[in-house]
Amino acid sequence: MVRIENLSVAFDGTEVVKNVSFQIADGEILGVVGESGSGKSVTALTLMGLLSDAAELTGGQIRYDDTVLAEAGKKRDRELLRSFLGSKMSMVFQEPMTSLNPTVKVGKQAEEMLRLHTTLPPKERMTRVLEMFALVGLQDAQKVYGSYPHQLSGGMRQRVMIAMAVILRPGLLIADEPTTALDVTVQNQIIALLKEISIKQKNAMLFITHDLNLAKRLCHRIVVMKDGRVVEQGETEQIFQCPKEEYTKKLIWSVPSRVKKKETAVFSEAKRQQDGETGQEAPVLEVRHLDVFYREGSNSLFSGHKKRCVVEDASFEIKKGEVLGLVGESGCGKSSLSKAILGMNKEVKGEILHRTERPQMIFQDPYSSLNPSKTIGWLLQEPLRAAGRLDKKVQMSAEDRRAAAYEMLKKIGLKESYFDRKPAELSGGQRQRVSIGQALITHPGFLIADEPVSALDVTIQAQIMELLQSLQEEMKLSCLFISHDINVIYRMSDRVLVMKEGRIIESGGTEEVFRQPKEAYTKLLLECG
Amino acid sequence: MKLKNCMKKTNQRKKRNWYLTAGLFMTGLILFLAILGVFWTPYDTTAMSAGEKFAAPSFRHLFGTDNFGRDIFSRVMQGIGTTAFISSLVVLCAGGAGICIGAVTGYFGGFLDEAIMRITDAVNGFPSILLTLVIVSVLGGGIRNLILSLSIVFMPSFIRIVRSEFIKFRDADYIVRARLMGTGTVRILFIHILPNIFSTFLVSVTIGLNNAILAESGMSYLGIGVQPPTASLGKMLSDAQGYLTSAPWYALAPGLTIVWIVLGFSLLSEGIRSRAQ
Repeated sequence: MVRIENLSVAFDGTEVVKNVSFQIADGEILGVVGESGSGKSVTALTLMGLLSDAAELTGGQIRYDDTVLAEAGKKRDRELLRSFLGSKMSMVFQEPMTSLNPTVKVGKQAEEMLRLHTTLPPKERMTRVLEMFALVGLQDAQKVYGSYPHQLSGGMRQRVMIAMAVILRPGLLIADEPTTALDVTVQNQIIALLKEISIKQKNAMLFITHDLNLAKRLCHRIVVMKDGRVVEQGETEQIFQCPKEEYTKKLIWSVPSRVKKKETAVFSEAKRQQDGETGQEAPVLEVRHLDVFYREGSNSLFSGHKKRCVVEDASFEIKKGEVLGLVGESGCGKSSLSKAILGMNKEVKGEILHRTERPQMIFQDPYSSLNPSKTIGWLLQEPLRAAGRLDKKVQMSAEDRRAAAYEMLKKIGLKESYFDRKPAELSGGQRQRVSIGQALITHPGFLIADEPVSALDVTIQAQIMELLQSLQEEMKLSCLFISHDINVIYRMSDRVLVMKEGRIIESGGTEEVFRQPKEAYTKLLLECG
Repeated sequence: MKLKNCMKKTNQRKKRNWYLTAGLFMTGLILFLAILGVFWTPYDTTAMSAGEKFAAPSFRHLFGTDNFGRDIFSRVMQGIGTTAFISSLVVLCAGGAGICIGAVTGYFGGFLDEAIMRITDAVNGFPSILLTLVIVSVLGGGIRNLILSLSIVFMPSFIRIVRSEFIKFRDADYIVRARLMGTGTVRILFIHILPNIFSTFLVSVTIGLNNAILAESGMSYLGIGVQPPTASLGKMLSDAQGYLTSAPWYALAPGLTIVWIVLGFSLLSEGIRSRAQ
């Protein structure tokens, strides 16, 4: 139905899509998989005619049935594109928060499509919208119709977006990372919905994602892209069972899955049980009946505060050298808990007992966790300087500090030449390495890692996890590892806490929880992950 | 996110920063004249010559002469120096105090922040010229008091800019981490955060410098501040008032110089801003 032939797209002379060819058959779900910067989004935007003027089609063409939508060297026919958009192809974006107009009721926004492309009277338009809302699984469609976007949850907004996209029964639906911004349990519902819709409405779908697992579940065929080129394409099963290209293998291998369990953890657990001494050592961190509150209301001078409880009655401990995984969906209170443990939120009730000095933290976003105005070398030395100022005993000479920083640079797998570079020159994965180095250079003993790999590409994710694991074992580090991704948790941790709506609902050894989950919610998480 | 990145690339074309080049040239020339004026001027700035009253611009007197027969070009050179000295001291005082106060209020927030913000609101509430006049009339005239009063009037804008930047950075992950390391507050404020606001602050400094030059000229024009026979651009404008029709060059020379300086600094700040982005 849609054929993309030898497509090349360039921004300011640099090609970001190189000679890409694939086709989508009627009713087929085609997955385009690749890491950030692989050109998958640009390809989709070119197909939709949504590229900015700086982008130039330098080669190839795009055909929809018999119509040429875009061709190299020709000006875009905006009228032709307009007649195609919405009615023959439409798109669902990643961010459900920004793709709906916040000042217009969602019902009206959905109606807009019908108003532009059909001559239906207002009454029928409304019935059609309500039908669509019901089709995408929005309960109480009438109420949703009259709601503003901010009154809906992320999942509901994405359902509205899908309803809007398919209301005109387009032949092709392009979904650009439609579930990336959503929680796993919601993610699964949306994937199921997309599949159902494409069967009911008989539309083809171009599904763009960085997540191989999702593509595996949804797509008939898969195109793997890297650096603007198609690396491999074929039936989903064939790609997963016998990938031909090295990169595809690496990609599949990198996805944290429950099949590949790290041996060392099992080993260390067994060892710990044999080794009575380590078992009896006092825990590094003890948390008893901890409630964490969050101040609501403006912090203006005269207005009062309301306290909202975000974590209720949390009790757990972390032993020396142990990695405790904390898993839960967004808003479950895992970050509030970590902040309370580090003493950044003083609105707490209960007991937090540290047996280490200066616990450190690794953050999710590699782009905001390094001070952009400093060099890597300076950043690595700063914790030592701070420690020296607080305690004269550990004060180091400038040369020792430099040497320690160079050594850490080696440990985190960066070349010496990075010492004088600034964070802006580093990739996301490299920055996360520096973050880890900065946290560990003072040998803190206890570390909180708050979603340290969530913002990274899968292949980089695997490397960072490996690095964390090896450093953790080497330094006998205790770690609270927070993630929404249950597979990452499985790979990293010795014990697991499952958190939901501010409460720890299940805890236990990793194997135990993953093999025999007690709570229904844990089971759901395991199924979705 | 991806979408935004694609669209961002549009703006990333490398263009020559003409603002910066022109701004640097204009301010550079002025700075050169001002510094030169301290050591050497074509004529003595106070030497009167009865025979050469109101001489029109010529090669002998580049900008002509004034009502006492003094060379206007020499006086403009000295005037730039006076004006630049006063306005840069004003920006230095107001900016320095702005950094200290803004950093503390922005970083800590709370009651202190609220109180200082209301005070700056109050200062902003008065027209700046009126407020300067009041302060000068209380303290008395002279260059020192002019600098002091202008600094007080200029401080709120610096405080606000620094404060908003510190609020932006105080919860950044790397600042949280610095706190976890046990870094002292003063070090966090001035070593960790301050360098990050440098480009924003530089822009506000150039704008502030502009306003200070205009304010100084205005004050001298009104007769407070610089006292004769010291030359200042504003004072010269004020003296030229009576001779606008008979000797227009007398007013034009300092007037156009002010325009040149202000334009130069505006271009410079625009250039810095577009480079920072």
